[in-house]
This record gives sequence, structure tokens and C-alpha cells, in this order.
Amino acid sequence: MKSRTYLIALLFCAGSAMSAIAQSNTEFAKANQEFAQGNFKEAITGYETLVRAGQWNANLFYDLGNAYFRTRDFGRAILNYERALALDQHHPEATANLQIARDEARALELQPTRVEHYLQFASINQYSIAAAVAFWLGILAIVMVIFARRRSAALISLSILCLLVCAVAVWAIHTLDNGSEGRGLAIVTGNDVQARLATADTANSVLALPPGSEIKILSTRGDWMYAALPNDLRGWIQTKNAEQVRL
Amino acid sequence: MHRRILLALFAVVGIAQIALADSPSVTAVLSNSEATVGETVELQIKVTGPGDARPPEEISIDGLEIHSTGTSRQFEIHNFSTSSSVTYNYTILPLRAGRFTIPPQTVLAGGKILRTPELALNVADAPGRPPPTTTRPGRSAQSQSANANDMVFAELIVPKKTAYVGEIVPVQIRMGFDARVHPRLTDPPDITGQGFTAQKLQQSSQNLETINGRPFDVVTFKTAIAAARAGKFEIGPVKATAQVVVPRRRNAPRSRSPFDLFDLDDPFSDPFFSNPFAGFGERRDVQITSDPVALEVKPLPPNAPPSFSGAIGSFTMATDAKPKSVQVGDPITVTTTISGRGNFDRVNAPLLEDDRGWHKYPPSSKFKQDDEVGISGTKSFEMVISPNENKQSLPLLAFSYFDPAKEQYVTLHSEPMAITVQGSAAAPAVAAQPPSSAPANAARGRPAILNSNKPQDILYQLTEPSRTVASFEPLYTRRGFWAAQSLPLAALFVFAGWKIRRRRLDDREARRIGALQHEAAQLMHKLRRDDVPPREYYAEASRVVRLKAALAARNRAVDPNAVDVETAAETFKLDTDSRDRLRRLFEQNDEWQYSGTHNGPGRISPENRRDVLELIENLK
Repeated sequence: MKSRTYLIALLFCAGSAMSAIAQSNTEFAKANQEFAQGNFKEAITGYETLVRAGQWNANLFYDLGNAYFRTRDFGRAILNYERALALDQHHPEATANLQIARDEARALELQPTRVEHYLQFASINQYSIAAAVAFWLGILAIVMVIFARRRSAALISLSILCLLVCAVAVWAIHTLDNGSEGRGLAIVTGNDVQARLATADTANSVLALPPGSEIKILSTRGDWMYAALPNDLRGWIQTKNAEQVRL
Repeated sequence: MHRRILLALFAVVGIAQIALADSPSVTAVLSNSEATVGETVELQIKVTGPGDARPPEEISIDGLEIHSTGTSRQFEIHNFSTSSSVTYNYTILPLRAGRFTIPPQTVLAGGKILRTPELALNVADAPGRPPPTTTRPGRSAQSQSANANDMVFAELIVPKKTAYVGEIVPVQIRMGFDARVHPRLTDPPDITGQGFTAQKLQQSSQNLETINGRPFDVVTFKTAIAAARAGKFEIGPVKATAQVVVPRRRNAPRSRSPFDLFDLDDPFSDPFFSNPFAGFGERRDVQITSDPVALEVKPLPPNAPPSFSGAIGSFTMATDAKPKSVQVGDPITVTTTISGRGNFDRVNAPLLEDDRGWHKYPPSSKFKQDDEVGISGTKSFEMVISPNENKQSLPLLAFSYFDPAKEQYVTLHSEPMAITVQGSAAAPAVAAQPPSSAPANAARGRPAILNSNKPQDILYQLTEPSRTVASFEPLYTRRGFWAAQSLPLAALFVFAGWKIRRRRLDDREARRIGALQHEAAQLMHKLRRDDVPPREYYAEASRVVRLKAALAARNRAVDPNAVDVETAAETFKLDTDSRDRLRRLFEQNDEWQYSGTHNGPGRISPENRRDVLELIENLK
């Protein structure tokens, strides 16, 4: 009796999931159709509905970016291409369109440090896996050294190497996560945005930020956020004028 | 005795030091060689060397009011050498403008007559300064007791009588407090009035001045005002509140001091100031108000140049650009520095005179002020421009301001700057490239480079939905990632447990083998003795064989009691002869153990013993 109840619950869950996927696919197809017919605003509404529903994937953000590009909202187009690339680092279409949108908007980009530049050959997720594997291998090697009748130089070297790899991977995760393309990365979506010296519209301007410009949020205070800007500058920007890449 | 010798030694050294000490010398310095009328300057006469010194009793120079303010002594010991000096301090109050020379002053020191160097003091007129006696405390006819208002004064100094709308006019506020009333400013000075804006007050200096024979602590504040509209204004008065300590009111009249120069009007002739225990003082709030100053504000003349943004003052401009050799579309950073004196808040970035063929980005600016109130300084602008076509020089930059001294607009132009622009305006469209060779982010930290004048089109729409829902959260922040770590952790525990169990088993086997070896060795030792009876001898000999067989079959964990002659022979792979001898040994043992009677001699012959020992020792 109990097992039958479990089975019914399982089937119900699976059915709901399938239904949700089917519904999101329908929404996606509908939005694509609107885009193909030139109804970009309707397409944006369709894609945004899927985004709000949490059906995130690189293609959805890429298509949403294209829709914004067509409405000449380059800030949001760049934001969504960046989101597509945040989900899929090697999304070739998003990379190409992002460059075109940046050219159009004349957006400013944050300069990654040399270390970040070298570390970007792998993603944070790949570094996470590498760190975990190296950690457990290192621990296994240490346990083997402990239980071995004779101390093996090879095992000791392997454990040191693995823990070293783990440490480097953790450092890489920290550097990338707090770097120019890390969790603080945001895109300027407003027009005529000025980064200012203080949290007031009348404060002196530090830098004019075209839409689509990259900033790195350092802290927030009320309706303002303090951000690292291109050209190694820092300033205050109203929160409504920029959106974080990572949702 | 020793102590006396030591004292004598010190005395000799001391006398020698005094004898060897340098002869006295004198120097004189002014705290400032430039001053304005009413601004005090400190004069210090320093006499170095032994002996008493007698400073000049009075220094009188026409146009300067010089008073002695005290003496300080310094005594130093460095590496057993002593030096002493006396510094005589004077306050100089210029009464009029001009160049004054303080002649050499005679100082008597160590029986010698010394002369100070001649000093020069340039005194400039203080523009806009009211006559010193008009706002400063004087005698008060009604003052029988200390009047707090006589102890403070304020004056507003505006150096100009006319200004233009928006022009920054520096303003000084001087607040004087009698040095003996322990003043505390509760409300800072505020310039009242309408039609102008004032910048934040900055305390500039604090001096001790003698006014009407009384020492005053004079605090100078600096600020700047700018008129918002044309017309005649009254700046001020400046108002402030301070707390001062004054003696309590007394009913009985005071007796006049022979040194009272003020005919009892001096509030400080009260004994409170000469003897703090004569009576307790009271804190009293004092309103300090200055006289207002008139200012006429004129409107700016019409026909301002296009690059005029409201800057009024006197400025210079310098321009630089980097790099000077670029490709079409590459950014060039143009740095313009505008220095001078004026309203820097209205100094905007210079304009490009001809921006055709250029794309310009909004500039950023930095201001470095050179004074307390920000009237003078340097404002730097960084503007990024990028050529859309081949160019030979940078466009000229123009900056205009109104010069109130010349009463006209002035336009500054940058110097022509040659640059090299390479490449053509046309570039292949990115859309035509295969996706795998999509352009890299080559222009990081700079404006994105425009590769073509013709707008590029984006790539196609992707209609294939992804099968999985992705997450922006990094892997290491997800619960699944940390849950997955339990698998290797569990595997590690299993591995460690298995290893521990193996080790325990190995230890048990090692202990068993050790026990067998020990028993075999003991039995062999007994077998080598002559006094062992045959029954015991053969029993122990066969036991040794069993033990050796069990030890030889180490990996199989054979029980020595279960080893028979055939097993032992097989274990040691004996030849026929040795096998027969071993069989005989076991048979003889059985006979001795189970027959109950003696079938042979009561003792074992040495040959038999040797034979048995040889057989056992060869079992390997």
C-alpha cells in the first residue's frame, strides 16, 4: 500500500516536471516566433517570462540579448550576452554578438588583471572540481602513507602535489570569483549614466558610462552602489542603472 | 675617600667643560618676512652660551608695535658636552605698509656685547580691512566690571568692492578673543546675507596679537563667496557665539591698581585674572558680530564664446595626448590641465573645435586645490576620442573663461598635435566570421573598437532549447557539490577501516609465528642437552619438526598439532632418505608415547641424538 503511494507521488512529480519543461519549450518557441516576425518587444516579454520562471540556459539569454539588440537597447543586450557566457563560457554566438553590441554601444570594459587573464583558461566550476579531486587524492595519499609499512617517497610527493594543486585551485576560485568577471560583475543598463564621487546626483562625475559598460560592484548603500569602473576608477552609481550578471 | 675623588673628578670635568665651552653667540629670526598691516609676526632672539644675557629692553621702530612676550630657556647635554640657550620672544604688529628694517640689537651675554643681524620685514596693505580701532574693543564708559563683549571682536575682510556674477571672491573672517578668557567657540562664524553663496569655512591660522595694549588670540577663517545675481549686496555681518570665562560680578567697588592703565575700565584689572583664587569665574555666552561689507556685483558681458561654461578667473591650459600613433577606431586619451585661480566648479572640459571624423566620449575630471578654499588649483580632464578615419592631427581644444581683471572673455586653444592614424575605415563584419573564430575581447579597459562604419549585424537566433536548467551559482556554492564530497569521504573511511583490520590480522599472525619460533628455539636448546630422557627427547624432537613445518607453511596458517610426518616431508620436500629418517623419528616418538614400555636402551645414544639433531637442523 505504502509503495503504491510512493509510486503515485513519483509519477506525479515526474509528470509535473515534464509538463513544466513542455510548457517552457512552448513559451520559448512562441518567443522565437515573435522574434522571427519582428515583434521584438513581444519576444522580449516571452523570454523574460522564462527567465523569471527560472528556466535559465545560455540559449535563452542569448536570444533575449538578440531581442534587446534589435530594440537598440544595447545595455540589456550586452547584459544578456554576458549572462549566456556566464552559463556557457564557450558560447560562440554569444561571444560574437557581445562584441558587436559592445562596438555599437561603445561600452567600456573592465581590465582583468594579468593573473585573472591566465586563470581564465578554466572556469570556476572546473577549478572547483579540480580542487575537490586533488584534495581527496591528497588525503588518500596521506592515509596510504600512514598505513604503509614503509614511508614511500612517491606517496609523500603525490600527497604534497595534490594538496598543492588543491590550494592553487582554491586560490584561482577566489581570484576569479572576486575578479573583474566574478560575482560582482554588473552591466550598465541605463542611458547617460555617470559614476560619481559621492552618493548624490550633484556630486562630481568620475566617469561617464555608456550602456553596456562593465562595472564591479564593491558595496551598496541604499539606492547607490560603489563600483570599480573601467580605467581603474571607482565611483558611485545608482542601483537602477546597472544589473548584476549573475542572477 | 673614593667618593671624594669621584666628586673632585666631576668638578674638574665640569670646570673644564665650562672653560672649553663656546663663547656666547646670538641669532635673531622673524617668523615671516612678509606680512600685512595688522598681521602679527614673531621675532625670536636666541642667545647661546654660558652666563646671563640681557636682551634689548625695548625695540622701537616707527610703524611697528613691538612687545616682548616672554623668555624660554633650553639646556642640553650631548656626550658630556653641555649647551644652554635663552630665547627672547617678541610680537611685532605692523601699523602701516612699507619695508621695515629691524636694526641690529645689542645683547649683553657672558660679559660680552653681541649684536643681532639686521632683519627686513615687508608689510603690505590689507585691502578691505577696516581701521583697527573701529571694530576692536576699546574703553567702555559703563564698564565697572568685566564686560564680556569687550573681550571678543570679529571682522569681515572682503578684498574687493566690485565683482562679477559667479566670480569667486576670497573672504577672511578674523575673530579675536582676549587671551585670558579661555574662549570656546560654540557656534562657528556664519556670514549672513542674501544673493551669494559661501563655501565652507576653513580655519586658516591662529595668532597672538596685541591690540590696544591687550593680547588677543586671533583666529582667522577663510572662505570664498560667489554672487548669484547682479546688484548691490551687503555681505555679512558675521555672527558667532563663544563661551568665555569672566569674573563674577561684585557689589563692592574695586580699589584701583597703580598699574591700571585703563582707569578701571579694563575688565582684567579684576583680581580674578591676577589671582584665580580670589574668586571663581563664570562661563558666559557672548554673541560676536562684525560689521557688514558692501559688494557691488556686475553682470557678465554678453556675447560669451561657445566654449564658455561659466568659468571666471584667470587660467592657463596644457594639453597632452597618448598614444600618438593609432589605428582607425583606437582610443586616444587627451589629457587637459587647466590651472589658475577662479571658480573651478564651473570649469568644464574644453570642447573640440572640429569633431568631424572623431568619436568622443564623455570626459572625466579631477581637481587638486592649492589653497584651503579651492579658489586656486589644477583641474585635469581626461577625454577619450577615437578617429573614425585617417587623421594627421588632433582636433584643437578650446576653453573660454571670463577674466575679471581684463573684464573680457578669454579663449585658450590647445597647441596643434600631430598624430598618426593607420588603417582604413572599412573592416570585415564579425557576422561573416565562423562562430569559433569570434572576436576576442581585445579592447578590455578601453572603449570597444569600431571595426566598420557600417553597422554590423548580429548572429542568428537559436531556436533549440537547452535540455537542462543552468545555474549562475558557482559549483562550490551548491549543496550538491558538498553532498557529493560525502562519497570520497565514505570511500576514504572504508579504505582506512580495511587497512586497520588488515594490520590487526597481520599483527595476530606475527604474534603466532613469533610464539612458534620461540617454542622451536627453546626445544632445540633442550634437545642439545644430554640429560633429556628418550620419551621426552623424541616428543620434543617431533614437536620441533611440527613447529618448523608450521612456520614453513607461513601463508597457510597451519596448526603445528595437525602436522603429520607426510605433511612435514611434503612441506620441506625431503628426499627418500630424509623422509625415512623423519618417519622413524615420528615412529619412535609414538612408541615412547603410546607403548607404555621401553623397547630399547634407557638412554639415547650420542649417534642417535646427533642423527636427530642433524635431521631437524636440515629441515628448511
